[in-house]
Amino acid sequence: MFAAVLLPNFRLQAALRFREELREKPVAISDEDEAKTGLLEVSEAAERMGVRPGISSPQALARCPQLTLLARSRPQEQSAQAALLEIATAFSPAIEATADGYCTVSLQASRDQDWPALAGRMVEALAALRLSAQVGIGPNADLAFLAARNARPMLVVQSPGAFLANLAIHELDPPPELLAVLRDWGIHHLGQLTSLPRGELMDRLGPEAARLWERAAGQTERPLRLVRPAEEFVEAYEFEHEVDTVEPVLFLLRRFLDQLALRLENVGRVAGRMTLTLALANGGAHERGFTVPSPTASVDVLFRILHTHLEGLRLEHCATGLQLRIEPALAERQQFQLFESPLRDPNRFGETLGRLAALVGAEQVGAVEALDTHQPGILRLQPPRFHEITRAAPLADDLAVGLPLRRYRPAVSAQVHLVQHRLISIVSEKARGTIREALGPFRASGGWWESDRWATEEWDIALENGGLYRLARAGNEWRVEGSYNLPAAAGREACQNLIPLPLADSKSPPG
Amino acid sequence: MSAVAIDPWAGLPEGLPIELPKGLGLPAGFSKGLPEATQERLSGLRRLLAEKYPAAERKPGGILPTGFAPVDAVEGGLRRAALTELSGGSGAGALFIHAMLRAVSREKCLAALVDAGRSFEPEGCAPSALTRLLVVLCEDPAQAVKAVDLLLRDGNLSLVLLDLQAAPLREIRRIHASVWHRLQRLVEQTSSALVALTPQPMVEGARVRIALHAQWTLAAQRRWRQDIFSEMSARVFPRHGAALGSEPDGAPDGAGWQNREESVSA
Repeated sequence: MFAAVLLPNFRLQAALRFREELREKPVAISDEDEAKTGLLEVSEAAERMGVRPGISSPQALARCPQLTLLARSRPQEQSAQAALLEIATAFSPAIEATADGYCTVSLQASRDQDWPALAGRMVEALAALRLSAQVGIGPNADLAFLAARNARPMLVVQSPGAFLANLAIHELDPPPELLAVLRDWGIHHLGQLTSLPRGELMDRLGPEAARLWERAAGQTERPLRLVRPAEEFVEAYEFEHEVDTVEPVLFLLRRFLDQLALRLENVGRVAGRMTLTLALANGGAHERGFTVPSPTASVDVLFRILHTHLEGLRLEHCATGLQLRIEPALAERQQFQLFESPLRDPNRFGETLGRLAALVGAEQVGAVEALDTHQPGILRLQPPRFHEITRAAPLADDLAVGLPLRRYRPAVSAQVHLVQHRLISIVSEKARGTIREALGPFRASGGWWESDRWATEEWDIALENGGLYRLARAGNEWRVEGSYNLPAAAGREACQNLIPLPLADSKSPPG
Repeated sequence: MSAVAIDPWAGLPEGLPIELPKGLGLPAGFSKGLPEATQERLSGLRRLLAEKYPAAERKPGGILPTGFAPVDAVEGGLRRAALTELSGGSGAGALFIHAMLRAVSREKCLAALVDAGRSFEPEGCAPSALTRLLVVLCEDPAQAVKAVDLLLRDGNLSLVLLDLQAAPLREIRRIHASVWHRLQRLVEQTSSALVALTPQPMVEGARVRIALHAQWTLAAQRRWRQDIFSEMSARVFPRHGAALGSEPDGAPDGAGWQNREESVSA
């Protein structure tokens, strides 16, 4: 058995997928060649008002002033076609993309022989993607197609002879000349045609008539041109007017994600990465990719990622179009380990990182990147990969020596007085006074094989007031790189102040 | 004068064997010895309260061991679901941060360092600890507080360190007391430990205060960092009446500070 899945008024359906408010209203689709072709497709409401495909827009508006004229959207048609093929693939791997809005499915290997129920599931699956389908099931592909054209919304051909006998001949789309001859003969239905002898019909009207006879008899067999739908999950929309606020974009993105999540679910995938593209009025585009930390098909999670980005986005030009592309991934199976504490919600953490990046800047938040250099003072942050921590590295002994440095960023320039190469005193914004003790110099250099070579001499110094600092010299320039400990007064004062300090909602601690 | 019997449980749903968490409604164990029907109605009442005031449900926070004897000796470590203020010299604060990174690596959890003074230097930190640390470099304390707010709402990290010690004191003082109370309320909803490192005690609403004191000479630069840290002295002041993350401000028995000094001299 074969199933034909047909999306009637395909271009119109594709254009109205995200415009539900127009579904019951008179709407017509036209394209850039409208002067030649007239209107391409019209809605039922428009048809009731006398609007027909092929007439021009002025004629249509004269018949129906309330008519909404929409431009054909090829990106939306591609999305709808992709959705159709994905649904078909869920029922059988052997599918043919017969035409736009029409695919044929081979059910030869199907275990499910309850054809009406199967056709019903196809209709329901497409309805969830806002596509109205007609499904026909028959013993061969052509019969299935004829059944689909006459399905409301599904039709299973159990007895081909009885089904074909009452079908009008024009259902087979014969050449106009041949159709005219048959009408002159008084033959209007397929049953009348197949009652004629095939050989004599071919002698009189040629091989075209013989092929028509075979189709009318339901005897044609043709191999399907099998396709494997590309795993491309894209939804697009072209705004009729330029959009300068984020609300319409968010509204559409939510609907895109609803659809894309369903499509992903149909093929057993989740979203691994999203790419958002906003077409701008100046002809440019704003494109941004989002890696989903823990691949998911949850609409809420994916929407939050996009929302976080868009709420901080400022563009110089209005948006004219919107596209969301999802790269599918296999769902992760993560099991928390007994003594490990990985991220409980990686997606929420990813969203928090986005908010932090919006607050402090993307380069100011992240995990410390291990750099292949000994050059002091370089701190580069990279996106953390906490969700990938599965097993902790063995805890090595703490081999760090000395006090940790609090680095001044940037380093503070200083004037240092030397006597016979001994550091005597320092004057700077951060450290000032007589140098009581100094350790150094500790020399370091690198990058001599490149253009950005560096060399520095460092001292650890103790001032008379107790402050410990790191001092560096590059050439003749002195800098205070940071402090190990500030003068004693600050620390002692902190401890002493702690005791009498009253809290607003508590008693003073006992001395 | 005749006594009028009033049934306080009238109208409550029956047969709801729900146990509410501690801190909601009547104290645990209150219903023991009551008639069975009353106990069931009491359970119904607790359930209604839990539905109506979900925020009132407080989870016991637990403890995050620091590996620092003076702190661990008092309560076993840092309180989770609570704001701890650590004040003292900037060197002591930096040493504490490095020690906490080691603790994070040992406990196999994740941490964030919100650095309001952009002074963090990873030199000497174990790579395994750095892979578990999120660093947020901020322009000023106000921005740092916002970053902490986001991290606490996220709830994924076990430890959030807010380092204000390298920021100008006048900017830290601009942080309003209500901000600290808000952070305390936020952290109560999580299992994270929040530590604010300040140059002076100034955090209202902190559940625990730790004062570090140390004075070093350049001789410290030739010693193991671990030894320097373990020899640092500290005074720990847990708030009196604030059981580990379970009691709100203004506890009826009178909130105050309990002074527990733990010091190890070199």
